[in-house]
Amino acid sequence: MSNTPAWSAAFDRGSLEEVVGLPIDRVREWAFGGSTGADIKVAVVDSGIDADHPRVGGIAGAVAFELDPDSDLGYVDREGPHDDLVGHGTACAAIIRSLAPEAEIYSVRVLGANLKGRGALLHAGVRWSVEHGMQVANLSLSSKSETMFGPLHEVADEAYFSGTVLVCAANNLPGPTYPSQYASVVSVAARPGDEEMALAYNAHPPVEFGARGIDVDVAWADRGSITATGNSFAAPHVTGMVALMRGKHPWLTPLQVKAVLQAASINSVTG
Amino acid sequence: MRAGRYRLRMTVAPGVDAALGRCVEATRSLFGAAACSIALVDDDGGTLEFVASDGAGADEIVGVTIPVSRGIAGWAAMSGQPIAVRDVQTDARFARDVAESTHYVPTAIYAAPMVDADGEVLGVASVLDPVVDETSDWTLHVLGTIAGLMALVTTATAGADPAGQPLATLGSDVLRVVESWQATDRGGTE
Repeated sequence: MSNTPAWSAAFDRGSLEEVVGLPIDRVREWAFGGSTGADIKVAVVDSGIDADHPRVGGIAGAVAFELDPDSDLGYVDREGPHDDLVGHGTACAAIIRSLAPEAEIYSVRVLGANLKGRGALLHAGVRWSVEHGMQVANLSLSSKSETMFGPLHEVADEAYFSGTVLVCAANNLPGPTYPSQYASVVSVAARPGDEEMALAYNAHPPVEFGARGIDVDVAWADRGSITATGNSFAAPHVTGMVALMRGKHPWLTPLQVKAVLQAASINSVTG
Repeated sequence: MRAGRYRLRMTVAPGVDAALGRCVEATRSLFGAAACSIALVDDDGGTLEFVASDGAGADEIVGVTIPVSRGIAGWAAMSGQPIAVRDVQTDARFARDVAESTHYVPTAIYAAPMVDADGEVLGVASVLDPVVDETSDWTLHVLGTIAGLMALVTTATAGADPAGQPLATLGSDVLRVVESWQATDRGGTE
């Protein structure tokens, strides 16, 4: 029986392969040093955010997408404060806040009290993020629906070309999940370690980056915290790094962001 | 609370194929866990009903329904992502009343969504207090894979698709492989 972890296998120190990154001098200092993520809009496309949680520290805005069979699109969007129905979004937002304390975090709620229409609402949330000029969007959720492959691919491409970096948690389920599978996004899996700014690049994608996601102390509902493991918690670490990077270098495109993340990875060497 | 104080057995809800019971039995054995259960999403997508369980509290948990937004199982269903929580007792939103009604309150829970071929979340597989290394995501990968197989079994046994009937034996096949593997493993370490 193999004792090989899933995507994390690629990020184990013992098996981490070197990759050739751009020759940026002191890349981590160049990318992140001194940045707080100020003026950067970060969307957390998830179950909502408890804005009053002390580890979240407030949010800049919120919109909730809900199914509505009477509307043309099959759903409606409601702008304004809302609760986190599950706890997932609050956990992600707090991680982002810990890395990028001055980022403008927006709660884009696409998960509600019902599982119906998950894929369509996920698509709507990503589209909202693009249309509202989010510089980075965290997607610690995914769809395995083949019918959503095309629509999510299309909106992921729109995000890429319009400047919204989509940071997507990989999934430990068999088979592809979307949008984490697309080349236009930054896909992330969990790797061990306590360093919240640690980053590794996978020499054998589709999952490209590994970040802290195992036994992470995360914010939880009712102002609490728990210790949890999952790719869901690795993605917001990278989202926070992207917010720092774009706060310092607003001109960076998604193409350039990914290249800098690769260069800033611990297994990156210069050619 | 120790699992050993309670009767350990596999239970399935009326009308649910025993193959799902064999699935949870095998999975609990694989993880060396106190309990393993399957909860299925209702037709409206708003609730999870526990339909099969093995181990501590199995009799009590089967038939229980919870809102899909509740507990660690609901978390996995909503996000579509496997998750491991080391100490659920610190989680204010942990469905404690449900756990207490089964007379077993776990410390750790692993949960993975059961997703069908169309990408729909059919339910959630949960493992309570597994005896595994929690410092890697290998366990989440294994549970996620098994949850996918459980979704296949669920689909095959719930519908009238004759082509799916062979999958109904998958649960017992998995159990047989696990038992065989464990027997080999024990033989090699003694």
